[in-house]
Amino acid sequence: MMAVAFSLAKREFTRFARQPQRVIGAVAQPLMFWLFLGAGMGTSFRPPGLEQVSYLEYFYPGVMVMMLLFASVFACITIIEDRDAGFLQGVLVAPVSRMAIVLGKVLGATAIALVQVLLFTIAAPFLGLSLSLFGVVLLVMGFILTSVGFAGLGFFLAWGMRSTSGFHAIMMVFLMPLWMLSGALFPISGAPAWMNVVMLVNPVFHALEIIRAPFYGGGLDLLGRSGYLLSLAVVAAWAGLSLLGSMRRVSRREVGV
Amino acid sequence: MIQINSLTHTYPGSRKQAPRTALDALSLSVREGEFAILSGPNGSGKSTLFRILCGLALPSSGAVHIGGIDLLAQPEKVRRILGVVFQNPAVDKHLSVIENLRIHADLYGIKGADFSRHCDEALAWTDLADRLNQRVETLSGGLARQVELAKVLMTRPRVLLLDEPTTGLDPASRRNFLAALQKVQRDRGITVLMTSHVFSEAEDVDRVAIMCEGKLLAFDSPQALKAMIGTEMVVVQPMGEVEDLAAILRAELGLAVRRHGDELRLEETENGEGLPMLESILERWRGQIKSISIKQPDLEDVFVHVTGRAVPDHAVKKELPR
Repeated sequence: MMAVAFSLAKREFTRFARQPQRVIGAVAQPLMFWLFLGAGMGTSFRPPGLEQVSYLEYFYPGVMVMMLLFASVFACITIIEDRDAGFLQGVLVAPVSRMAIVLGKVLGATAIALVQVLLFTIAAPFLGLSLSLFGVVLLVMGFILTSVGFAGLGFFLAWGMRSTSGFHAIMMVFLMPLWMLSGALFPISGAPAWMNVVMLVNPVFHALEIIRAPFYGGGLDLLGRSGYLLSLAVVAAWAGLSLLGSMRRVSRREVGV
Repeated sequence: MIQINSLTHTYPGSRKQAPRTALDALSLSVREGEFAILSGPNGSGKSTLFRILCGLALPSSGAVHIGGIDLLAQPEKVRRILGVVFQNPAVDKHLSVIENLRIHADLYGIKGADFSRHCDEALAWTDLADRLNQRVETLSGGLARQVELAKVLMTRPRVLLLDEPTTGLDPASRRNFLAALQKVQRDRGITVLMTSHVFSEAEDVDRVAIMCEGKLLAFDSPQALKAMIGTEMVVVQPMGEVEDLAAILRAELGLAVRRHGDELRLEETENGEGLPMLESILERWRGQIKSISIKQPDLEDVFVHVTGRAVPDHAVKKELPR
């Protein structure tokens, strides 16, 4: 199963690498988002308790999560056309496990997302952020789990769609708000109470937590913090559930009445 | 090799649409090593049947066995012996020919020395030998189709399903594709079921199935099908109202006269009978006739004959008062 999944994931990555405009867009867009928003908001944004942190720095892990979100959305949007009139037709009639089909897509999207977000991690020292060696391991784990969660969710949503424009709508009214309410743009402490609840059950909030933490928490000691472990568990569960849900969707054959 | 028993498929309706029956107790059996073509007008249920045969949809009722395996219960077993060529390209055009073949081999677990052997075999009949590293998007439509077929043949399928594989090809490429397909099919004894709209493609296959409204109307060799409507037919194009002349011919000659568009067809005529009939018609009704000819029926005429008669459509009924 994994051999098939890796083969499909490799295809995904090769396609990405062969479209230079996609590579440039994927890196430049979040970078601009970060620099313009970060610089613009810098002086007006001083939330209580975060006086020491510039907005550029606060927003930094949030942009990482956004990169992970966009990478998986772009990968999953191809599902819609590929399934009925493209490459996926041949995969679906091949003797491969349905989980391998999901994993191929999700791992491909994750590989693409990792390249982008690791490139972006180079900016950390310029913000005065440092990472321990174990911190890097935890950070990469956070990237991978989050990306699998997003790609699995994207897969699940895209599989039932008839048109790419429908998927764009879902992206704008469902996936983007998940990101906006993750604490990427503003800290949870300043939000109204009802929003607090929404943010706490939002898996993307927990994804942001485990990506932000290694920049501030050092290394091994993070694993002793219950808050970190809770977020880690939520993200892992999100990733696992979205993979299972996607697999169930792919396995289901349309049935006559 | 392919056995379809009383297959019925009804699409669930919605608030705006009533449930629609696409396949209506269809039975069909394709023998091992046979090249069969499935044709039928748009909406006849071909695509639905194709999706079920690929294992992508489950019918409302009925059974399908491929290679003796129950497709509905064990699709994954059938997938091992099945090759499918889709109407829309299923190769990745951003990847090269060989990259596409390699991914497909990975899907079927073909590795190492096996891969090169299967690959050589699958490419032997193609014109792709010196284009293996070219991306598919740079190839012509005909060559891209060759990649499609080579990819599927690489896994050595025992049963090959093709859904209008020559759509969008020019006549020369279409002929090449079919010639190659038929040669490979014969050499390896593959069982082929191919849907097609183009009747010239069907002239030299083993059997042709004609379906309409989810039912199988005919399934026989091209020769036998053509014999159904005689070896000659007289085609009359009336000058004025088509039905007027049809009624006259029916009454005066006591023959079955079938209307097809603005033509009247007198079928089931044996060799040599056509010319005297043409002469006598021309003699008596010359003033009402725009053109008249004798024709050797081809498969398309059989198709018109078979589907025209069986369609219980009110539009056709109006044209064919009995």
